[in-house]
Amino acid sequence: MKNNETSKRFPCLRVATGTLFAIGLLCASQAQAQVPGRFYWKTLSDSSAVPLIVESISGNTNPFDPSHLVTAGGSFDATMALGGYAQTFTLMDRAAMAAVILPMGRLSGEARSRSGTSINQSSNGFGDPMLEFNINVIGPKAQKNIPDALRYEPGFSLDLLADLALPIGQYDSNQALNLGQNRWYGRVGAPMIMQLGLWVPGRRTTLELLPAAWIFGENNNYVGQTLKTDPLFQLDAHLTRDFTENIWGALDGSWYSGGKATINSVAGTKRNDVAFGLTLGYKVNNNMNLTVGYKSTVNDSAPGDMRMDSFMATLVFGWHPLIEGSRRLAGDK
Amino acid sequence: MNKLPLTLTASLLAALFSVPVVAQNTAPAPAKRPNIVVILADDMGFSDLGSFGSEIKTPNLDSLANDGVRFTNFYTHASSSPTRSMLLTGVDTHLNGLGNMDEWTAPNQWGLDGYEGYLNNRVATVPQLLKNSGYHTYMVGKWHMGKTPEQIPAARGFERDFSLLDGAGSYWDMTNFTAASPKSVFTEDGRYLTELPKDYYATETYTDKMIGFIDANHGDGKPFFAYVSHQAPHDPYHLPPEWRSRHVGEYDKGWDAVRQERLKRQIELGIMPKDTKLAERMWFLPDPITLAPATRAILGQKMELYAGMVENLDSHVGRLIDHLKKIGEYENTIFLVFGDNGAEGNDLFKMIAGTPGTRDFLFGAINWSQTDPKAWGDPGSYVAYGPMWAQVSMTPFSQYKGWLAEGGIRNGLIVSGPNVKRQKGSINDGLMHVADIMPTLLDVAGASYPKTIDGRELPALIGTSWSKMLAGQAESPRSEQDYLGWEVFGNRAVRQGDWKLRWQYEPLGKGDWELFNVTADPAERHDLAAKNPEKLRAMLALWDSYVKTNNVILPSRSAFEVLKDQLPPRVPDDPGYPPLVYKRQFVPPKDMTAAPKP
Repeated sequence: MKNNETSKRFPCLRVATGTLFAIGLLCASQAQAQVPGRFYWKTLSDSSAVPLIVESISGNTNPFDPSHLVTAGGSFDATMALGGYAQTFTLMDRAAMAAVILPMGRLSGEARSRSGTSINQSSNGFGDPMLEFNINVIGPKAQKNIPDALRYEPGFSLDLLADLALPIGQYDSNQALNLGQNRWYGRVGAPMIMQLGLWVPGRRTTLELLPAAWIFGENNNYVGQTLKTDPLFQLDAHLTRDFTENIWGALDGSWYSGGKATINSVAGTKRNDVAFGLTLGYKVNNNMNLTVGYKSTVNDSAPGDMRMDSFMATLVFGWHPLIEGSRRLAGDK
Repeated sequence: MNKLPLTLTASLLAALFSVPVVAQNTAPAPAKRPNIVVILADDMGFSDLGSFGSEIKTPNLDSLANDGVRFTNFYTHASSSPTRSMLLTGVDTHLNGLGNMDEWTAPNQWGLDGYEGYLNNRVATVPQLLKNSGYHTYMVGKWHMGKTPEQIPAARGFERDFSLLDGAGSYWDMTNFTAASPKSVFTEDGRYLTELPKDYYATETYTDKMIGFIDANHGDGKPFFAYVSHQAPHDPYHLPPEWRSRHVGEYDKGWDAVRQERLKRQIELGIMPKDTKLAERMWFLPDPITLAPATRAILGQKMELYAGMVENLDSHVGRLIDHLKKIGEYENTIFLVFGDNGAEGNDLFKMIAGTPGTRDFLFGAINWSQTDPKAWGDPGSYVAYGPMWAQVSMTPFSQYKGWLAEGGIRNGLIVSGPNVKRQKGSINDGLMHVADIMPTLLDVAGASYPKTIDGRELPALIGTSWSKMLAGQAESPRSEQDYLGWEVFGNRAVRQGDWKLRWQYEPLGKGDWELFNVTADPAERHDLAAKNPEKLRAMLALWDSYVKTNNVILPSRSAFEVLKDQLPPRVPDDPGYPPLVYKRQFVPPKDMTAAPKP
């Protein structure tokens, strides 16, 4: 056929490639403790993604510590970035994902010294890298080819999630404020997606929940002391809605309960804090997604309450060899 | 009509039974005359019902086939309003006002009698005559034969109606296709609607309205004529979500495979003879096995939607059937079911959507731009399945709507009810035509065709009643000498006995006369014009007769006049050519394989 007539006659080729990454490919982790809405939407197996997340955080707890040990009267500011790599694949006909996220950045603030006095500390470098494995157990089967991807609708989807942080990040045992945590810790969870209404780009609505439990090992050298942390229950919720085919927004909420810290057998109080936020997402092109968001704790005026707010921007670049090859052949930029 | 042209025979019949329109009954009416339900599906193809070989599930329409007779040699016209005009008048299109579609009337046809673009006032209609004969006359759905007050269903014999006057539109609301004509026009009982009923969905609402019409007068002892002129499955394929996903992935196999499967079932059912061959795959369509899975999935999804449209239509027909059973009228009701022309393979939306910078493009951007496959079926989406699937719908025939190949004009017909005395579930291949319906229904009602109406002499009916045939007293309403003629958009055809003469615009035609033996070659693969000059001359003489008898004026412009420049050059569809594309990976004998030597 003349003049590239095949692609004119079958614009579905373009639709197919355009749709693939329009479904929120591998939105990256916002921080080690939380992820934005649409993070667990599924995409084509054997896709890859590189997330870059930049956050500006302030509050009375160390944002690099997922247990968020509160320092009463403390004040911290952090500029952090998370880089990573994620790969989707098919496992037993189900959609699965493995990822590694490496936090890095600068952290400074007012912390308590061993004598109880307030001192300023700072830290910079790399935090503890985190490995994540996620597999869907209820919902659509893995997207093993483009037709599967085109037909993806989450309906009700339930995943199983496991995270493990490796205690190899920057750590100075002489100060309370560190990027690394000097202990093993991890999380098990069950991300859920509830599709509300039709699955039409520009009109998609979801309610997404992530119930999870964090489990922490002991830090035997927490400024010369032993830090133990009880398991911490996490419930994240996101009500997401498309504004257009390329722009979406979310109301975010989170509730943390538990995670009581014990330092040298002296127990603190358990956490029970709630935060709300907003996220805007934008599909820059078929490879790239951008989100920006803000989140803040509420009912956090008491000295022992966790207080934290953060601005966050994420940029995720995703690709699949088939799609990239099709693009090259079609001459698309 | 032995050895006489169809139109001449019809004239004689008309003269024989001519009476003023107000005094119709020629014989004592039976104690209870049958009700009549005509179910017209818009653009539904020959093979789209399960009872005609389809994989589409149509249990309700199939139940009518099982209770009645399927006819495999039934002809409509090649497009909507011409067929409808002959259905309701029994008069050739070039006389009844639809000598051309309103949308395509050529400059040399403007202002001429027979080419008004609407049903002119020189013809009588089925509802008009049945109403005068004591029938209730109801219509729901698509009209497409005029919009002014004197042209609408209420003015043409329908006592009750809920009608879409346009040829197509949204199934969800009043949105139409162009900036110049942005709103579909509806009437209800002769009044133009300012809005549609709450929760409107065309196929469902039409059915609800028809049931309401029937119920409103049920019990008064009068039979009814119900013209159920569904918009479905005409594009755009608008469909409630629950009907969109009944065939997910089923059509990824591609159109060739589905056509082959349908033909196999047709042969098993007896719809087509066992040696029937498929028509060529249109040369500009790819062999689906050469397409990527994603392409097949997207194109297959269009057919999934179409199948859903037909199944949804069948479901609502089932509601009507169930209702008639519930009120005790089913057994005394004659059903006629068919599609109005070949399946739609033309890109209607491309014709009307405009190009960037035009007002129609802007209108489309606002109203018809839900292009994402996930939105297909929703308001604002415009999906049509294209020529590849239209050919599937017309299995085993060639081409589709708008053209005079068998795929454009031959459709499946089901007739059931008390007048059908043939074996239930049987199949008949008598030569039939949509214009036969007028005389057939007059026979059913015990009425006749008048000579004049409002002081004007009526044109002759071109059809022949099926009464003897339905009674099992004849195998066809026509003899080998009777002929049928067609002309629309400049395409022309004549059929007599086994033979068909055809002239079509290039490249779907040759721009010259072609001759086919459509009994031996229903796929019209072999042009026999050069080999049969005498037959060609004889058929050309029939064409000339048809032109003279019916006031045929060939259009100076046509919808297809530049198609030759838009499609690639026509080539044969030799399977497996070129081998470059089809030859599979060579696999050497295992015992001769080896790793490279160091």
